[in-house]
Amino acid sequence: MSVETKQVRTNMVGRSMSNESFISLFMVGVLVILFGVACALVPNFYLPQNIINLITNSWFVIILGIGVTFLLITGNFDMSVGGVIALTGVLSVYFCQGANVSQNVLANGLGLPYGVAVALALVCAMGIGAINAFFVARLKVPSIIVTLATMMLARGIAQIVTRGAQRNTSLPDVFGVLGNVSIPGTSIKISVLIMIFLVVVAFIFEKKTVSGRRTYLIGANAEAARLSGIKVGRHLTFLYLTSALLAGITGILLASEFKAGVSNRAMGYEFDALVIALLGGVSIAGGFGSVLGMFVGAIILSVVTTAATGLLLSPDWQFTLKGIVTFIAILAQRFALDRRKG
Amino acid sequence: MKLTDNVLEIRELVKDFPGVRAVNNVSFDIKRNTVHCLVGENGAGKSTLIKILTGASLRTGGKVLLNGEEYWAHNPKEAKQKGISTLFQELNVVDQLTVEENLTLGMEDTTFGFLRKTDKINAMVSVMNSLEPSISPRQLVSTLSVAKKQIVEIAKAVASESDIIIMDEPTAAISESEIARLFKIIKGLREKNVTVIYISHRLDEIFELGDYVTVMRDGKHIDTKPVSAIHDRSELIKMMIGKTVFEEYTPKEGECKDAILQVKNLSNHKLNDISFDVHEGEIVGFYGLVGAGKTELARAIYGVDDYEGEIIFKGRKLQPAPDKAIAAGIALVPEERRSQGLFTILTIRGNVPVMNMKKVSRSGFINAAQERNVTLEYIDTLRIATNSTEKEASKLSGGNQQKVVFAKCLFADANLLMLDEPTRGIDVGAKSEIYGIIRRLSEEGKSIMIFSSELPEVVNICDTIYLLYDGSMKATMRNGCDIDSEKIIHIVTGGE
Repeated sequence: MSVETKQVRTNMVGRSMSNESFISLFMVGVLVILFGVACALVPNFYLPQNIINLITNSWFVIILGIGVTFLLITGNFDMSVGGVIALTGVLSVYFCQGANVSQNVLANGLGLPYGVAVALALVCAMGIGAINAFFVARLKVPSIIVTLATMMLARGIAQIVTRGAQRNTSLPDVFGVLGNVSIPGTSIKISVLIMIFLVVVAFIFEKKTVSGRRTYLIGANAEAARLSGIKVGRHLTFLYLTSALLAGITGILLASEFKAGVSNRAMGYEFDALVIALLGGVSIAGGFGSVLGMFVGAIILSVVTTAATGLLLSPDWQFTLKGIVTFIAILAQRFALDRRKG
Repeated sequence: MKLTDNVLEIRELVKDFPGVRAVNNVSFDIKRNTVHCLVGENGAGKSTLIKILTGASLRTGGKVLLNGEEYWAHNPKEAKQKGISTLFQELNVVDQLTVEENLTLGMEDTTFGFLRKTDKINAMVSVMNSLEPSISPRQLVSTLSVAKKQIVEIAKAVASESDIIIMDEPTAAISESEIARLFKIIKGLREKNVTVIYISHRLDEIFELGDYVTVMRDGKHIDTKPVSAIHDRSELIKMMIGKTVFEEYTPKEGECKDAILQVKNLSNHKLNDISFDVHEGEIVGFYGLVGAGKTELARAIYGVDDYEGEIIFKGRKLQPAPDKAIAAGIALVPEERRSQGLFTILTIRGNVPVMNMKKVSRSGFINAAQERNVTLEYIDTLRIATNSTEKEASKLSGGNQQKVVFAKCLFADANLLMLDEPTRGIDVGAKSEIYGIIRRLSEEGKSIMIFSSELPEVVNICDTIYLLYDGSMKATMRNGCDIDSEKIIHIVTGGE
């Protein structure tokens, strides 16, 4: 090959920025601006400890966001994650509570060792994922319907097991370890480390693996994907199971942190997970988005809610504020993308 | 107003698309209260002409006079208001509503937003009754057969006092007995002061139904004649195809190689007992008109649609699933490029390796450099016009998009390529490039099946040609010896 053609070839690869990187950068820009505004308005907002808190306080939505993001990229919803957290948390407690130790029904469990209890609870979480996968991938029922149903199903079971309240007695000490131990000398908990680990894994999955690529192909054009030999149903099943497993892990960690299985834990988290994915530029039409974008989205949401608290706004304002920010951010995103295309 | 003898006069009508003149200086008249048939091969310009009349497409030049007055329609609704209704192949009825609601859809009378029963509804229902008494106005449209749905649409057009109803292949999807009923209704429309423009590939229908016939070819008007002045099908066929020149095909040398694909007694909802072999290095063409079953045949072999019968590939029974077909060595370039073949929102690099990710990955991890090199290789060999592997596929021209789909299938390392309408909607230059690619592949020993509704395409490059009509295999021809385009058209339009 001559030098000249080689030159052309490198030019061909030397690429312009993809829409995806563009949106991620755009949202980073939004984050920086919001952070600046918050620093100007809220005392001590700029302190390193506060910045660390912004990330560490959102560990659970970010873990949920991973599964929700990948499913959204395929063009499907997973609204069941909040319910799965409650279910797994409650079940891990129930499995672990001592058997026949008290007159109180809510104090009696199955008396299983902690490890077994956790494993079983995670299997149950994946059971919910399997139901989602069966109806969405096999029977082709719209995912929003299926996962709204399993969201209620999962929370419903949690309520039955806790009689609509919570289980928090006769638990071994080991139950409270996972959710409460921090890295010595810092406020960073194991949960946060798990979150960071999962984000890194998800990032590699998204960018580097064939399976990650399939996720985009299905979202971009499910029919073309099928005709190109991709087993669409199998891949969706994998993603629903993964999403349920991630929600299950979150449920275990939260139950451990509070040393309690609460039936209304994580109410509305499925919407938070959806919101951070959308804030991060994931397209609701599928085929577009990234885990890193979702991460940025989570921090944006965290900045807004923390700043609101810092401004001594009553917690009643949180929802309104979240709503307005989400709305504006997503409109800005669409606007920026259209301008870029035009 | 004195009504003219001609309901529609078309004068020097022209429609240009980039690089193509689809309708070229067409002039003819349509007489009032007749059934006027419009025939021509695919690409003859019929559809474009109809689109201009219905307002779906705007003309480049020329004049249309409706009842002696200048006619312009910018959309189908406007066309309807001016008196031209259309019965599209995709019917325009709402399944979830009743017949009566469908009839009045879009012209309901209301008082403060509430629906009002008026004489208009009764008038509509009585038209409906006079056409087909067996349809009840209270019936849900979803319970009607396709033919009866068509009748509902016809009734709607008649009742809204259309001068002209355009029917685009109304018999393509209905049964024999229903065709007879539909024809009776169409014939009766003359008395109701309605002119019918009838488009069909089934030539027998023209003789049965038509008063006049207009033949188009290559965008030009060939002739308009009373049907009674035409002797037989072959005269009509001659007018349709003219002197088509097939100069490009050169017969293959050497004897027949082994059969790579054997299809035995393949049947399903659309196909009827189809059997054939494809040999190594052979280019096989399947020619038939719209609805003949070409796409269905390709989909059945590829394992997308269910079938009965046996498909043997490389000596083994083929498992019916696309991933199995690809693994065995079959790749499909689907009919609909944008909705079935291409990932339009992804880059060229995102598209090319899709069917064989194994080749650009190791234990599940993608090798980005390899992926780029492969993409560059195909951009080179297929001459895809782009400045980057990272260009979004949606931003390429139709021909280049098709080349990307080709690249995708070639990368699958298939021994048998199935190409469904490989050059549809592609300009002439890209077309001949794609033919070149097909020939080269065949020389490399790959077998190729082409499913096409363009006769020159099939005759120019295929070694063997199979003719399909209504889901059945009607004839087999070796190219280079006994090719007679008149005979081919005769067979694929339903002649014996």
